[in-house]
Amino acid sequence: MKKILLEAILVGAAGILLAWLANAVSPRGLVLTRNYFPDGTGRMAQHPSNTDPASPAGTNALALRIAQLGFRPVDRETVVQLHNDPFFAQELIVFIDARDEAHYAEGHIPGALVFDHYHPEKHLADVLLACERAEQIVVYCTGGDCEDSVFAAVTLKDAGVAPGKLMIYAGGIEDWRRNGLPVETGARNSGRIAP
Amino acid sequence: MTSRKGTWNRLAEPAAVIVRWVVGALFIYMGLRKALAPVDFLKLVREYDLVQTPLLLNSVAAILPWFEVFCGVLLVAGVAVRGTAAVLIAMLIPFTVLVVQRALELHSGGTPFCAIRFDCGCGAGEVYICNKIAENVALVLLSAWLLAGRGRALALRFSLGRTPPAAS
Repeated sequence: MKKILLEAILVGAAGILLAWLANAVSPRGLVLTRNYFPDGTGRMAQHPSNTDPASPAGTNALALRIAQLGFRPVDRETVVQLHNDPFFAQELIVFIDARDEAHYAEGHIPGALVFDHYHPEKHLADVLLACERAEQIVVYCTGGDCEDSVFAAVTLKDAGVAPGKLMIYAGGIEDWRRNGLPVETGARNSGRIAP
Repeated sequence: MTSRKGTWNRLAEPAAVIVRWVVGALFIYMGLRKALAPVDFLKLVREYDLVQTPLLLNSVAAILPWFEVFCGVLLVAGVAVRGTAAVLIAMLIPFTVLVVQRALELHSGGTPFCAIRFDCGCGAGEVYICNKIAENVALVLLSAWLLAGRGRALALRFSLGRTPPAAS
């Protein structure tokens, strides 16, 4: 029994060490000291009723949280208006897709910039440049219980973007698609628009 | 009676080797799926609300998948099998308790228990809770069988210490 316990301790220690090394050398590895959930308000989806922003409880919880952080929640009608606004073409209104590159390439709101806040080193410089010029910034992610738009907005705020410019479209790309609005696939301004 | 016992003993060892390989391969597969999408796993770990500090949360999400892969490789190769089986049991039991707690949290919303389906962070995507519990119980029992000293054949180094006599 003692032998097995010692062996288990050895396996555990070697496993932790090797796992730590594997994470350190993996290009997809996590930075252990980084705060990936920077809003400081805790997990939103504590209860199933809070996981669906379409439900009243979900909508209220998310709207309250967005407001607490100093951002403005926006609905689909407003987002469509902003997307059709001539200022959008002049990049005075900017859309930011807070999902990862793979999901972005599968389909995003036409003209949106990609900003995966879990890997800020990839796009932060470009996004900040666009945010500096912009007067209004719409941030969205998948929708449903996705919180990445909030985290991305907090990251941008922490990087110096005025919170008053930042709007959160909680319905996200799911709500956008569900209503038959066009999505762009591939890179930004690729011209590949799916109905 | 004696011949039945003899047949069992003849079959038990190859069966245990297969169990060792299957359990090991399962842990490698599940671990790699999580290790290759660490951000997704990080979000799932956060859902359990176990740890608050970023360092601890990130450490769990970064280390656990590779740790599972490591244990899986040890089982497939047949190295430190009993120690590894003990570690797996020590991980599986508390993890199953956590999954059940999370399911009960969702169950309080009115969904029938066995109809509850969510991504528990096991590496297999969304699963029905009752299936997950059955799978984990099976894994614990199979690991306990290996812990008892079965599955020595084709093992590189079954025990790190001096090899104990084979279980009869």
